Amino acid sequence: MPSSAGVLTPALTTFSRSVRNRGTPIESSIENLISLLKRRQIRDSKPCAMATAYLLRRVVETFKIADVSGLIERVHQVGERLLAAQPREMAIGNIVRRVLGVIREEAEEDRDGETSGYSDADTDSRPHSAGENGSRLPEAPGAVSRALLSSPLPRGASDQPSLEPHEDGALQRLPVLTAHASYASTNTGPVVTSMFSLLSHPRSNVALPTATPGSQSPGSHPPLSNTALANLTAAKDLRAEIVEGIQEILEELNQADDQIAGYCLEHIHSNEVILTHTSSITVQKFLLKAAAKRKFTVIHAETFPNDHESTHATVIGKAKGESDDELRPESFQKSLTAAGITVILIPDSAVFALMSRVNKVILDTHIVLANGGLVAAAGAKVVAKAASMHRTPVIVLSGVYKLSPVYPFDIDSLMENGDPAGVIGYGDGDMVNKVEFENPLFDHIPPELVDLYITNLGGHAPTYLYRIIADHYRAEDTELDKFNAYQ
Amino acid sequence: HAAPAVAEPGKENKNVALFDHLYGHPRRTTVAGAGKDVHPAVLALGIQMRNYIVCGSSARCVAMLLVFKRVIESYTTPPRNSLPRHLTILLSSQIDYLVSCRPISISMGNAIRWLKVEISNVDVSTPESQAKSDLCDLIDTYVREKVTVADQVIANKANDKIEDGDVIMTFAKSSIVQQTLVEAFRRGKRFRVIVVDSRPLLEGKNLARALADLGLEVQYSLTHGISHVIRDTTKVFLGAHAMMSTGLYSRVGTALVAMSAKEANVPVIVCCESVKLTERVALDSFVHNEVAPAEELMIQGKTSSPLSNWVDVPNLQLLNLMYDLTPAEYINMVVTEYGIIPPSSVPVIIRLSTNT
Repeated sequence: MPSSAGVLTPALTTFSRSVRNRGTPIESSIENLISLLKRRQIRDSKPCAMATAYLLRRVVETFKIADVSGLIERVHQVGERLLAAQPREMAIGNIVRRVLGVIREEAEEDRDGETSGYSDADTDSRPHSAGENGSRLPEAPGAVSRALLSSPLPRGASDQPSLEPHEDGALQRLPVLTAHASYASTNTGPVVTSMFSLLSHPRSNVALPTATPGSQSPGSHPPLSNTALANLTAAKDLRAEIVEGIQEILEELNQADDQIAGYCLEHIHSNEVILTHTSSITVQKFLLKAAAKRKFTVIHAETFPNDHESTHATVIGKAKGESDDELRPESFQKSLTAAGITVILIPDSAVFALMSRVNKVILDTHIVLANGGLVAAAGAKVVAKAASMHRTPVIVLSGVYKLSPVYPFDIDSLMENGDPAGVIGYGDGDMVNKVEFENPLFDHIPPELVDLYITNLGGHAPTYLYRIIADHYRAEDTELDKFNAYQ
Repeated sequence: HAAPAVAEPGKENKNVALFDHLYGHPRRTTVAGAGKDVHPAVLALGIQMRNYIVCGSSARCVAMLLVFKRVIESYTTPPRNSLPRHLTILLSSQIDYLVSCRPISISMGNAIRWLKVEISNVDVSTPESQAKSDLCDLIDTYVREKVTVADQVIANKANDKIEDGDVIMTFAKSSIVQQTLVEAFRRGKRFRVIVVDSRPLLEGKNLARALADLGLEVQYSLTHGISHVIRDTTKVFLGAHAMMSTGLYSRVGTALVAMSAKEANVPVIVCCESVKLTERVALDSFVHNEVAPAEELMIQGKTSSPLSNWVDVPNLQLLNLMYDLTPAEYINMVVTEYGIIPPSSVPVIIRLSTNT
């Protein structure tokens, strides 16, 4: 699986293994992730995003009701619980929104597709959807097979229309069947049908005569159940497409760093002095890729006390990570110094002194907000401010998954304080009772301090981010906690 | 390129190119090889300065003058030589030794310049014992006027700027800022202090401890927390290594504090004795600065710091800068014993103080 690549903390690896395990009940997977988040065993945007995507993929796979609004509600509820467990890891919310967006989109496409299919002939849609299903199967084998609930139905659809509903609770499936069946038979215009399906209460159509035979006496009347069957396949098709959509999100998560690195030559010229902060793998990959073609100097601020250890390890050329027994791709990544780049490690305090000779500041980020501001590791604000004082451009590297549609009305709620032991060691324990210690983990950087964002889609001005956010999230999902208002 | 690297393993130049002019010879670590006429007290002081036991512009200046007093006390003019001539030469070798331990501060330079003038002013006809005691008295007066009394005056003046309810931020440790805060606390003002600190010296920790021991309300953070703590701050008090008309030359990181204060519209007040004022001008932190040994950046108390073998990593350089230049635009006022001035008036005070 490509999902095992990327920055995985051991906790994430374990979680992804357990969530993929068919034997694990979904509820325990959810609880598992919630506690992992609460205990900070999974932290930082990317691991959180991946864990959320793994979990939601499983949620979609195991969801019993083949009803889109129910599925949306379910995903939403799981997302809310995850966000409640760790509200500052906003990548969780982003992935939940993306998944919700995928569900909505697939549902709409599905509806449009069906109505157009049915407008010609009822039977046309079935081979079409089955074929489509077959072609998609190899792309996400585990996911789809689970989505099909171990039934060969879609491939050999016409012969065994019946297995499915009984195995998996026919009555629960019923609503969507009936809904589809009803507009298939009424064959009104596409707009009307989609509106109908969107607004109608799923259970209200249970009694429709065309659907009931198909579900209640499965297999016995193939001609009768033809439409029902088509819709059954369509429902599973929908699930498979959603799972595939989540799979694409996961792949995007894995590829984001490399895609961002692909833009490096557009931004780094020869003999440049680049200042960076924190030991970000995104930034390291970006610089490393540029190092293959260009010669430049990197000034690396050590980000004491929250990230200095991995920064030191990064400049020395050792892999970043909590445990050494995990073999991850980063372990084999060449260090910048090995690539012939001069790296100067400085304490954070020297940033201002050196800024007048720095050509570009390249920063990693924790999350990017809707207004073009960002939340990054503590200390990044003064770096960005010093850069803007010296008219040095600030470039922020961020995968699209870090773009959050949340507008920063309350910045303090996004901040977090870390372990004060980083600021004051045990050797100075006598001060603890007298002095207040502060160890913030994040800084909020307003959009005016950033000159350019580079995402996996390319470079964007901070003012343009709202557009990318609009492309990736549905407006109705922006405020996750207000979901119930749409019910 | 590969051939010389193999021939001389570990000989890669680890100096940061931008600061190549500042490295000079490595700092002296022992007294071995010191000139034979270097006074034992000077030998000891050199090592203390090198190890930051005597640290800070004023402290180093005072310690140096007191040690020079010992040198003068134990001095006898050799035959066929005059005191003004020979003592100056002797002092120069003491100073050379001190420089080899750690580059001297602006205030030390100012004091040395003054002392040399005083020595050269000694009348050759004056008996040696008389000349020596005169010089010692002059040094005592200088320390008293330029540092002790000056500090009291500055602490009093700066105190007027502290009001009840203030939240005062300071960076690292400055003896004059500490004195000001202690004085304000002694006067019963109710305020809070935020000490911002940075690696590797962590001087602010000592300040925070000293103030907290007195009973002040103290908050301690590192440079990464500046943008958070600045929001509570009402005034920033900074110490100086040297004050120029173009800006404040002080412990590296000061500029970040002043910049954040400027952004947050918090007044920045520099407390600075006139001995630290200099006519030297600088526009950046590159031309004049001090590069401390990179090894000091190792995390103390960690047995397996990843940085421990940094020298073996090709192309990796560690930069341990001591000072930075805070542009004058970030500084609202400079409190000196002559009065409260803007940075642009620094040359005026220098003329005033050297004429009298």
